[in-house]
Amino acid sequence: MNSYYLINLLIYAAVDAMACLGLSQQFGVAGVTNFGFIIFQAAGGYTAAILALPSDSANGGFQSYIGGWDLPFPIPWIGAAVVGGLIALPFTFLVGRRLRGDFAAVGLLVTAVLLNLLVTNYRPVLNGDAGLSLIPQPLLREGSRQSAGYEWLFTVGALVVCAAVYLFVRRITESPYGRSLRAMRDNDIVADSLGKNLLSLRTAMLVTGGAIAGLSGGILVSYITTWSPAAWGYAETVVLFAAVIIGGAGNHRGAILGAILVPVGFEEITRYIPTSNNLPPNLIPSLQWVAIGLLIVVFLWFRPQGVLPERKRVIRASLLGPPASLAPAAPGGTDPASPAAAGTAVAGAAPLAPVPAASAVPRPAAPRPAETAPRGGEVVLQAADVVREFGGLRAVAGVSLSVRRGTLTGLIGPNGAGKSTLLAMLAGTLPVSSGRISYQGQDVTSLPAYRRARLGLIRTFQLASEFKKLTVMENLLSSVPGNRGDSLRGAAAGPRYWRGDENAAIVGATALLERFGLEAHANSYAGDLSGGQRRMVEIMRALMAKPRVLLLDEPMAGVHPSLARKIGGELVALAAGGLTVLMVEHELAIMDEFCDPVVAMAEGAVLAQGTMAELRRRSDVVEAYLVG
Amino acid sequence: MTIFLASVGFGLVTASVLAIAAVGFTLQFGVTDVLNLAYGAVMIAGAYLAYLLNSHGVNIWIAMIVAVVVCSAGSVLLNAGVYSPFQRRGTAPITMVIVSLGMTLIIEFGVQAAAGGTSVSYTMSQGPSVRADGFTLTAVQFAVIGLSLVVMAGTHVLLRYTRLGKAMRATAANRNLARNCGIRTGRVITATWAITGALCGLAGVVFAMDAGSFGATSTDLFLVLILAATFLGGPGQAYGAMLGAVIIGLATEVSAAYITPDYKYVIAFVALLVMLGVRPTGLLGKAVG
Amino acid sequence: MLAERTSRGVPLRATGVTAGYGGDPVIRNITVHADPGEVVSLVGANGSGKSTFLKSLVGVVRVSTGTVVVGETDMTRKAPEEVARAGVGYVPQVDDVFAPLTVRENLEMGGYLLPSRQVRTRIDEVTAVFPRLGAMLSRAAGKLSGGERKMLAMGRVLMLQPSAFLLDEPTANLAPAIARTLLEEHVRSLAGSGASVLVVEQRARAVLAISDRTYVLAGGEVRMQGTPAELAASPAFVESFLGGTVTR
Repeated sequence: MNSYYLINLLIYAAVDAMACLGLSQQFGVAGVTNFGFIIFQAAGGYTAAILALPSDSANGGFQSYIGGWDLPFPIPWIGAAVVGGLIALPFTFLVGRRLRGDFAAVGLLVTAVLLNLLVTNYRPVLNGDAGLSLIPQPLLREGSRQSAGYEWLFTVGALVVCAAVYLFVRRITESPYGRSLRAMRDNDIVADSLGKNLLSLRTAMLVTGGAIAGLSGGILVSYITTWSPAAWGYAETVVLFAAVIIGGAGNHRGAILGAILVPVGFEEITRYIPTSNNLPPNLIPSLQWVAIGLLIVVFLWFRPQGVLPERKRVIRASLLGPPASLAPAAPGGTDPASPAAAGTAVAGAAPLAPVPAASAVPRPAAPRPAETAPRGGEVVLQAADVVREFGGLRAVAGVSLSVRRGTLTGLIGPNGAGKSTLLAMLAGTLPVSSGRISYQGQDVTSLPAYRRARLGLIRTFQLASEFKKLTVMENLLSSVPGNRGDSLRGAAAGPRYWRGDENAAIVGATALLERFGLEAHANSYAGDLSGGQRRMVEIMRALMAKPRVLLLDEPMAGVHPSLARKIGGELVALAAGGLTVLMVEHELAIMDEFCDPVVAMAEGAVLAQGTMAELRRRSDVVEAYLVG
Repeated sequence: MTIFLASVGFGLVTASVLAIAAVGFTLQFGVTDVLNLAYGAVMIAGAYLAYLLNSHGVNIWIAMIVAVVVCSAGSVLLNAGVYSPFQRRGTAPITMVIVSLGMTLIIEFGVQAAAGGTSVSYTMSQGPSVRADGFTLTAVQFAVIGLSLVVMAGTHVLLRYTRLGKAMRATAANRNLARNCGIRTGRVITATWAITGALCGLAGVVFAMDAGSFGATSTDLFLVLILAATFLGGPGQAYGAMLGAVIIGLATEVSAAYITPDYKYVIAFVALLVMLGVRPTGLLGKAVG
Repeated sequence: MLAERTSRGVPLRATGVTAGYGGDPVIRNITVHADPGEVVSLVGANGSGKSTFLKSLVGVVRVSTGTVVVGETDMTRKAPEEVARAGVGYVPQVDDVFAPLTVRENLEMGGYLLPSRQVRTRIDEVTAVFPRLGAMLSRAAGKLSGGERKMLAMGRVLMLQPSAFLLDEPTANLAPAIARTLLEEHVRSLAGSGASVLVVEQRARAVLAISDRTYVLAGGEVRMQGTPAELAASPAFVESFLGGTVTR
């Protein structure tokens, strides 16, 4: 085989693989659909060109901006990555807000189309349609033609960079941070309610993906020595998406496979199609595009997960080393400085901070709290005259409510009473129309949900909200706060940095699973469990978030009565240790047994508050809600 | 002043083509919840079909009718064969967009494969021109404006006064409730795609007439205008699309008179991004609570 | 009260219906019937499967086993539009009006199956039943108050004079006084005109007052049935509903 042919193939494979890895990270792992992806590669290409062109070249002259130096080799590529990342920042307004996914994607697509148009038509910018050419290759005197040895060196360099990119994205994805990204992808509202800053996560993904795309553009430019708008139409983005989808979105090896199959494979196959002069010259390229379109639609129909689907991450506590002792540990959470691996030492420091003793034995139900005097410590959560109005309807009409520390408060009422709406406003997932919410003495009315979650105010949802493509164990781990690996920097620092936190979390999660009887399902996808089991996963996940106040929205719906009792018992035990719970429920038997006080709502207002027995004696409550 | 008037003239023609196209596009979205990005591709397919007939001697206006019918049938097939099955499976909206991009490639480059990569144009007479103070429009351009007025009036009558139109609005507002009224929403949707597909074909042919010469990828940029007009008026709102078309059509052409013509699309681009960022429901839609 | 014309009421029979959303069934082996002129209610705590049952009757939820017969016709697993065409009027609990359409257009949609000259007359007749609607014909349905919306939802169904009415928690979100009026006047008179009426309600006491027979659902199954008098006298009734005792 012609060695130039092989070199060409390998370099294109490396560049395309890099681009696909960036896209796979954004789209497959984090769920950010960036139809303008090609812009970032283009930006990188132009930057590398500008930084490499010496000041005295014919269509250069850009170097004069930078003092007229000849910039040494890595700078064009580094510049390409940096600019690719920076260009992402203006686009964050499209992905941060609550814009429908398909609308945001359209915005990005349109941007790509129009930027291409602008550059094509505006000569002064980047030399317009003609583009930049005669770009010097790295480490080479301009004008001197390459030797085969040089070409091979370049190829190896490109492959090395590609490998580095692969290791980087893999490191990011296989970390607690990567898990948070996948959680955001699976259900962003829930991720928000568990303390994930969606805007920051999406921005980070746009920037890193942009940097990787830029780098790939820079390398490509250095090889082909020319760069013009024809090389980066919006259709190129579609090709990359096709590659990632076909290879397997969310699987980085799938991204590489997709790059080999689609952009590279396609080009190569057409070489072997016999050409004849009878065929119109455009036919083969046009058919290529038709084929890519067909591949996209066919794959999305028959195998949307791609050739190499996203792998299940199996986590076993046993892999951590000898089982930890279950001796009660001091409250105060995990010790971040604990040594890596080998589940030694403070594994018993379960993430359930308020509970002094971690126990694997289910507790019997706590005695009925109904007879005791007004319970609880200081007021920890308060709503003052809270109103929620929408389209002329008042779902919540001036509710004032105080929740005391260490209580299990129930919230009951018929359909439409406003219970879930009130809960959502307390948690921050819905804004108030007027009124104030205070938490631990602080006014949090305008604080977004993820910030409240980080302060310990955690909620669950009425409808199924588990992260479907994460395992049960991963669901539990996803909400653990304070994990060092749950940031871009932490993830980039590598497993050694966050292993300790992660292991402690795993041990705590395992203990919790055992307590609730689901340890056998630890490594099943959460979406595969039955309704009642998924409910329990949600409750456990909320408990893993180290809540101080837990807002539960119909936690027992669909759960077997004996299990509901068990959960109730656990909550009472946790409340005894300082956890505060506010629970919306329809199962009034649960209220009887576990909740005091109980607040009854109807038509957006609070009717009465007291024990369940007291409420049953009140005729207005009975009238509104119960049969009499 | 002459430049201004001339650009207003062009603006009216662009707005007319845009109105025909955008009304169809927005109704497809409103009734079926599909952002059919392959709309531009179907347009150009219609344009090429008319060209095929026209190049064999058929009068362009007759060829146009054939194109309208074929695009109508084709759009029904597109929904029934591709979009609807994906939707029934519960496919996420973002994936639907990717599917529509795939269909765009198939249709657009299928046309290019069949017809070749060179630009073509219709054999037709432009008819007499009307000149007034720089404002110059040919008879054909007047015809296009007239056609768009007919389409807008017809849409209004359809939606407000006919049974089908009301069923379309009901299906768009609340599909389940429409079914509870006995409305066979499956048929309503088919009829919607037939009508909007016809509009798409019509838009393709008048687009080609206005452009003079065209190629398989000529509607790529036009789709941006359609999107801008749709989102300006509010996705799913037919009257919004009409309003958006007029605004975008005039704005792009008038601005082209004063800035370099190559940038006239920038206005559409900025309008679209602003609407997406600030008020995705459009000028005529309700603000999200 | 409701207009003069008697609907040709037909009996509604659901036998052994088991249905769900694909996964475990939500309701199991439910047998319920309503005869012309009867108001039959279905009560039960939240999550007992009442709404799901109604949805399975109209084809929104898939019936896995069992049959649904309206009059002579087997309606099991038919599409919602076919069920409507067979003369079953369904008022869902939420999303019960066409919000962007006006009141008049909502009613016109309700009369979609009628010949156009009849639609006008029917609208007049329905607004005679609900005079408040008559005053608001040009207002967008999304701007109505809760009670007005429910009236419109019922008016929409009335347009076709169905032979069987299925109402899903018609008094949800309504103030008690309005709820009582709705049930005592309007729902009761639906049966008075000869149709079969099946009402699902959470406000058991209110709906019992107007029912001829009642079924109590819990955990997706029928636990008890009988006349309101029989049920009110039974201690098991309160328990199956509430899981506790009630002191008056």
